[in-house]
Formats: sequence, structure tokens, C-alpha cells
Amino acid sequence: MQFERRFLLIAMGLAALLPFVVRDEYLAHIGVLILFSVTLAASFNLIVGYIGEFPLGHTAFLGVGAYAAAILSTRAGAPIYLTIPIAGLLSAATGLLIGGITLRLRGPFFVIVTLCFAEVLRLVANNWVGLTNGPMGISGVPTPHWIASQPILGQKISFYYIGWVIAALSLYVCYRFVYSNLGRGGVAVRENRFVAQSIGIKPYRYALLTFVIAATLCGFAGGFYAHYISYVGPEVFGFPFTVSMIIMVLLGGKGTLVGPVVGPVVVVLLEEYLRDFQDLRLSIFGLIVMAVVLFLPAGLMGFVARRRETYAPA
Amino acid sequence: MDLFLQLLVNGLISGAFYALSALGLTLVFGLMRVVNFAHGELYMVGGLIGWALTSNLGLDFFTSLLLVIIILGAAGYLIDRVLISRVRGEGEEAGILLTIGLSIFIVNTTLLVVGTAPEKVLLPFSNRPLFLGPVVVTQSRLFVVALCALLIAAAHLLIQRTKLGRAMRATFQDPMAACLVGIRSHQVYAMTFALGAALAGVAGMLLGSIYVAQANVGGLVSLKAFVVVILGGMGSFAGAIVGGLILGVTEALWGGYVATGYVDAIGFALVIAMLLFRPYGLFSRQAERA
Repeated sequence: MQFERRFLLIAMGLAALLPFVVRDEYLAHIGVLILFSVTLAASFNLIVGYIGEFPLGHTAFLGVGAYAAAILSTRAGAPIYLTIPIAGLLSAATGLLIGGITLRLRGPFFVIVTLCFAEVLRLVANNWVGLTNGPMGISGVPTPHWIASQPILGQKISFYYIGWVIAALSLYVCYRFVYSNLGRGGVAVRENRFVAQSIGIKPYRYALLTFVIAATLCGFAGGFYAHYISYVGPEVFGFPFTVSMIIMVLLGGKGTLVGPVVGPVVVVLLEEYLRDFQDLRLSIFGLIVMAVVLFLPAGLMGFVARRRETYAPA
Repeated sequence: MDLFLQLLVNGLISGAFYALSALGLTLVFGLMRVVNFAHGELYMVGGLIGWALTSNLGLDFFTSLLLVIIILGAAGYLIDRVLISRVRGEGEEAGILLTIGLSIFIVNTTLLVVGTAPEKVLLPFSNRPLFLGPVVVTQSRLFVVALCALLIAAAHLLIQRTKLGRAMRATFQDPMAACLVGIRSHQVYAMTFALGAALAGVAGMLLGSIYVAQANVGGLVSLKAFVVVILGGMGSFAGAIVGGLILGVTEALWGGYVATGYVDAIGFALVIAMLLFRPYGLFSRQAERA
């Protein structure tokens, strides 16, 4: 608990100071990607780590958030400080609906049905041309005036701080969640469902609440994505986003608070570093997923924690 | 009425195809309790190997089919021995993640080697239409449906009648007891996965002659196969067949009478409804949820 709190505070503190050192557009862009990924990973980790189920359709919430923000700002001209929270709320509602249905299922059934929901939403985004502009997607999601009036580096850094606020909020929510009765109940259910039930924990209700929180965070990330990239298409519901969420959370260590910070940093940097091997990149990612499952089942942080225990004075 | 008959026949044909493509998945899940997310990718690899053998090397269709069975079977055997055997007994999640990683790897490596172009497996039968009363069917489709039925029957006989099949069923009823009576269970697991992979590959090759074999088709195939398997109940052969036919007919009727845009969503809607009302499938008796 101490370690996690210190680590998160120091990491976010350093991240806040980073723009004063970095004066490069490309590095600022990578910073934004990392913060966006931290939010996604934190959200994904809540479900994997504290419900103990595997949501392959987590992009549903990213997509709903992104489309909500894009439609609100292009059709209704809503400002960014309204669109992102509304994106979160809409995702939460979607989460309530999807979670209400899927959390009754376990194991492979949960995995497949969440995937089905994401796929259905992708088809809707593709076919409901009146609302989503179909396969063309919604382009030209406006950037707020106070950002657009700056030079490009300034714009990136402004987005960096918006991303920072969202990531910090997500991590704070996760921290409070994990050390609340809700989080402890979640861990108890994950470890032994029947013992947990016998002491009065209601697995379904706990899981649903966790699911909705995760969906909300993912919706914030989606809204942020829409404004930053300024384009949203049906591919936000696609599998590649899920893949990177899986890799980040697994590599970082699922069910830890530090993992969703470490994972995205490693993965985004690795992705940029491997850009030279453009075509090989995803093959390598596939190998990484398999290697992590086989050799590092608790992720990097699990590995570190084990080393710490080995060397800790008795 | 004629339109209805035509749609029904179309639906039954694509239903038979769905059943075949889901067979390997239901086998591996029913016997090994491994949810194989790389199923669609094995299907895709089977189709592309079939294409390479028939149109690039000029081999005849049945030799190629046999080669595809052997190659995919060997690949499946190795996948089980190298990867899946390491996480056996660690629950479903490890297997799910491992096969997701495998599918990412296979898709992207194939994209690298073959590219995105859709390819077609050459079939010894023409696309000439046959007129059966008011209904039109092409010769090649009829042939592939017949082959589907043959393969399904062969797989069923293999599991029900042969020594290997008995060893499989024994292992999955009680691994410990099977070991005690001298069944080499690691071999049985590997052979089961090999059979699942070979069925996926055969389906890929057969359907690659009707539709196309393409590197990025795997995801959709996996999803449809899951839909079929859930509709019929995991691990049930009869269920896979009925699930496939239901999906095929519903899609054809929906596409014919309502709208073509959402055809792919029908399966998912069916699954969601199914898991809400009969979570253990149409045929399986035992409940899957805690």
C-alpha cells in the first residue's frame, strides 16, 4: 500500500513536470499516448484484476466515449469540459447495460459475449450512417480555441495536461477503489467465490459496480481520444485496441496498481522503438503475449515483488 | 414462396459451412476445456495452404486436402506440446490468453508472408448452377456440403469408435483414472488439439474454394464459430451442426427479408439472447455457470 502510493505519486509528479524538460513535439505526442494508455490500462485492470473475468470487448466503452464526444462537439458544439464527462457518463450507462447481462456469465462465456457486444457496436457504428457517418467516421472533432490558438508544441502540451488530469483521476479512483471494501470484496470473490459469498459479499453486485467504474474511466479515455486525434471511426471498436490493453495490463501485472502505469510506458515506448520493424511489430506483440503468459504470469510488477520478497531481510 | 425456398436452401448451405468451421472449436473445448481463440487463424492458414497447393503448386484438390490435414494436424500437435501443455491445469484464463497471443502472432506473420490479397482455392467442380425445381444451387456448393457431411461423420466416428477416440473420452472424463489404466494422457491431449486444428484447416480450405482465403478473415471466423458453438452448446457435435444451421438460416432469412446491413449482428444477438435464457446451449444438459 505504502509502496504503491509512493510509486503512483512520484510517477504522476514526474509526469506533470515532464513538459518543462521536453520541448519536442514528437516526445510530447508519445507522452500523450502514454497517458491515454495509462487510463485505458487502469480501466481494463479493474475488470481483469478485481472481477477476475476477461473482457475482450472493452473497446465498447472506448468507442461509445469517443463517438459521444465526437457527436456532441460536432453536432451540438459542446465544449471539451462537457464532452469528456458526458462521454464517461454514457459509457457508464453502456457499462451498466452490458455488465448487467454479461456478469451473470463466467469464464469463456463472459469473454465471448463481451466480444459480441463490441462487435455489435462496431456494426452499428458502421451501419447507422445518420448518427455515426458510417464507415467514413466523424472527422474534424474540434480542438478548443485556447488550445488551437497555440503553436503545435503548445497544443500537444495542453493535450498532455488534459490527458494527465484524466490519467491521474483514473489512478486515484482505482487507488480508492482497491483500498475500499468494494476492492477487497472483489479480491475475495476473485480468490474464492464461495467463501466470499458465505461472508456476505454479493459477487454480482460488486462486480457490476466495478464494471461500471471501469466503463466510465474508459469512456473518459475515449472522449479524450476523439478530441486529440480529432477523428473517430468504427475502428475504435476494433480488436487492436483490445490487444494493446491486454498486453499493457498483462505485462505490467494484472491486479496491481503499479502495473497499469508500468505496462503502458513499456508498451508505448516499445511500439515506437519497433516502428522501424513496422510489419513485424504485431507479430512480436503476439510472441510477447505468449511469453508473458508462460514465463511472467504475474507481469513485471509481480516479478519485481517476488524479487523484493526474496531479498527482504527476514 | 420461391424466394423463401431459395433463401432457406442458401441458409442451410451456409449453415453446413458454419457447422464445419465450428467443429474443431467445439471438439477442443468439449474435450480439453481450452477455449481456442486461434481457431479462426488455423482456419485461415488451412485456406491459404490449400490455395498455395492447388493454384501455385498445381496439385489436385484431394491431395491438397490430405496435405492440409497433415500439416495442420502437425501444427496443432506442436502447439499443444509447446504452448498449451505448459498452462494445463491453470484454469481457462491462461489458455484463453495464450491462444489470443497465438492468434495475433499467426495473423500478422501471415500478413507479412502472404499479404492481404484474397485468394481462392481451386475446386474440381464448376460454378455451374443446378436447377432443382424453383431453387438454384451451384455444383461446387453441393459438393462442398457433401464433403462437410462426410467430414463431420468421420470426426464423429473417430471419437466414438476408434481406440484413440475412446482414450480421448476417457482422459477427459477422468485424467487420473485414464493415466492409471495406461493411457498416455499428454499424447491424447496433443492428438485432440491436432484433430481440432486439422478440422479448422480443412474447413478453411473447403470454404476457401467457395468464399475466399484471406489473411485477416480469422477474427470473424472465430466469432461466428463461437456463436455456433454457444448456440449448440459447447462440446456437442450435434449441437454444432444444429447451431450452424440455425445461424445460417436466420442470417439468410434476415438478409433476404429485412436488411443486409446488420446480417453479421444476428449471430451476436442470438448468442446474447441464448446466454440469457438457456446459458448451457440448446442440447447440453449441464449448466455452465456457477
